[in-house]
Amino acid sequence: MSEFQTPYPSYDVLDKWDSPSWNDQTRETVARRLDEVPKREFLTAKQWSLLEAISARLMPQPDREEPVPIVPWIDDRLNKDRRPGYRYAGMPPMREAWARGLNAIAAECTDRFGKPFEELSSEEQDTYLTDLQNGEVSDRFWGDMPVQCFFSELLLKDVLEIYYSHPVAWSEIGFGGPASPRGYVRTGFDERDPWEAEPADV
Amino acid sequence: MHPWAAVSVQAAMLGTSQPEPSRRPLMVVAATTLATAAGIGWLLQRAWKPKGDINHRAAQALGAGAAILCASVALDSALEHYRGEFKNRAMFVGPTVAFLGLGAATYIAFRPDRVKDQLPRIALIAVGATGLIGIGFHTYNILKRPGELDALNLFYAAPVGAPAALTLAGLYGLIAGELLDGSSAIRTQLPKLTAGLIAFSLLGTAAEAGLLHFRGAFQDPAMYAPVTIPPLAAVAVGAAALSPRAALVAEPLLKATAVLGIAGPIFHAYGIHRNMGGWHNWSQMILQGPPLPAPPAFLGIAAAGIGLLPALQGREQ
Repeated sequence: MSEFQTPYPSYDVLDKWDSPSWNDQTRETVARRLDEVPKREFLTAKQWSLLEAISARLMPQPDREEPVPIVPWIDDRLNKDRRPGYRYAGMPPMREAWARGLNAIAAECTDRFGKPFEELSSEEQDTYLTDLQNGEVSDRFWGDMPVQCFFSELLLKDVLEIYYSHPVAWSEIGFGGPASPRGYVRTGFDERDPWEAEPADV
Repeated sequence: MHPWAAVSVQAAMLGTSQPEPSRRPLMVVAATTLATAAGIGWLLQRAWKPKGDINHRAAQALGAGAAILCASVALDSALEHYRGEFKNRAMFVGPTVAFLGLGAATYIAFRPDRVKDQLPRIALIAVGATGLIGIGFHTYNILKRPGELDALNLFYAAPVGAPAALTLAGLYGLIAGELLDGSSAIRTQLPKLTAGLIAFSLLGTAAEAGLLHFRGAFQDPAMYAPVTIPPLAAVAVGAAALSPRAALVAEPLLKATAVLGIAGPIFHAYGIHRNMGGWHNWSQMILQGPPLPAPPAFLGIAAAGIGLLPALQGREQ
């Protein structure tokens, strides 16, 4: 996975800061995202470090000196109890789901490997996360939690959603930020507006 | 109060360049635009000094109309083909030939007696033929897309009627020559036939505007103007071909159509202003907003029609 190479090595979405592509609303939101990373409020220190370890496997950022912060924003979401407006059948409310899920992972890993998830090798961590994805975990730790749903719909989705909300991730995939005020005109295959990122090998 | 409402009130108080959220300014904008356009039209008419007999003056007007049509097509197709990234090399042909036609037609507007010279004649024939070939290309572009002749493709694929304006411009130019040098039988019949062609031109252009204004949901009441006045003018010009007295009705309608052709770009500039980001976002909106150079096509056709009316009536000034 670390072999991923961005097709847009010379593109930085932040260069659009003062261009017609961005307006005050965009600048305000992105500035907050860059400068006001929240402190830990809701998760316990243990849950926080566990979630850091998990998101480092789901969204590895080995080449990045300053990784895109992910856990602080999940914690912030939980602290403010900002729910998405829907809930999967059988899934506890957001805060409870995250607390129960993280505690279950911590307990099951200690039980299965004899040490906490954070101290496992990357291979062991991936093995466990794959089991979690496939629902191959023990009811002893998970009770009636819909495990696969927790992994795919909460854990994985939130980690990726927050990662791809960051301008660094936008630059990496050639994304221009909000399509407001300036959107897209040429929307067919292989079409590119002059204000869009240009892949290096074209 | 809704937080967004607070933002727009604040923007209004600060006088920032936010597009108006309401329709209230439309009346003022429409009145100002039409008044300005009427003023420009009056100045143009005053500056326009055709010479000679009625046929000579009609020929000059046809040349001027063809030149305005070509200018409109040149700029509009350059803009739209740029939007299409000139993906097909043939997309350079339309704007290039339209510029060529602009040159030839402008020359004829001042020297209609030279239409029969080889160079302007070849240019006009090339312009007319390019229009026909363009219709073929645009039809192919529409039909090759999934859904073929469905509304979506008619709205968003290459506009099927647009290249026809070049054919009309070529025809106007060639007719100008015949009005001067044709046999006497041609010279008495030709104004009537040309009136028919003008009526057809108006209807076709109104249909194009209607399609695109329907695409734009007629969201500004002014968008109804080019689908009502030019068709009425077309009927009147058509009637004038049969009965010269109808020219009395045709003249004001053609003048109104000409005013619309001048007012159009101003309205469209206002439309760009009302789009997301307004003129600050011009690089997107000149492509995605209403097309600035399209409406003067009405001015071109109307100018040709107005100049033709005296020949229809057989009245010398």
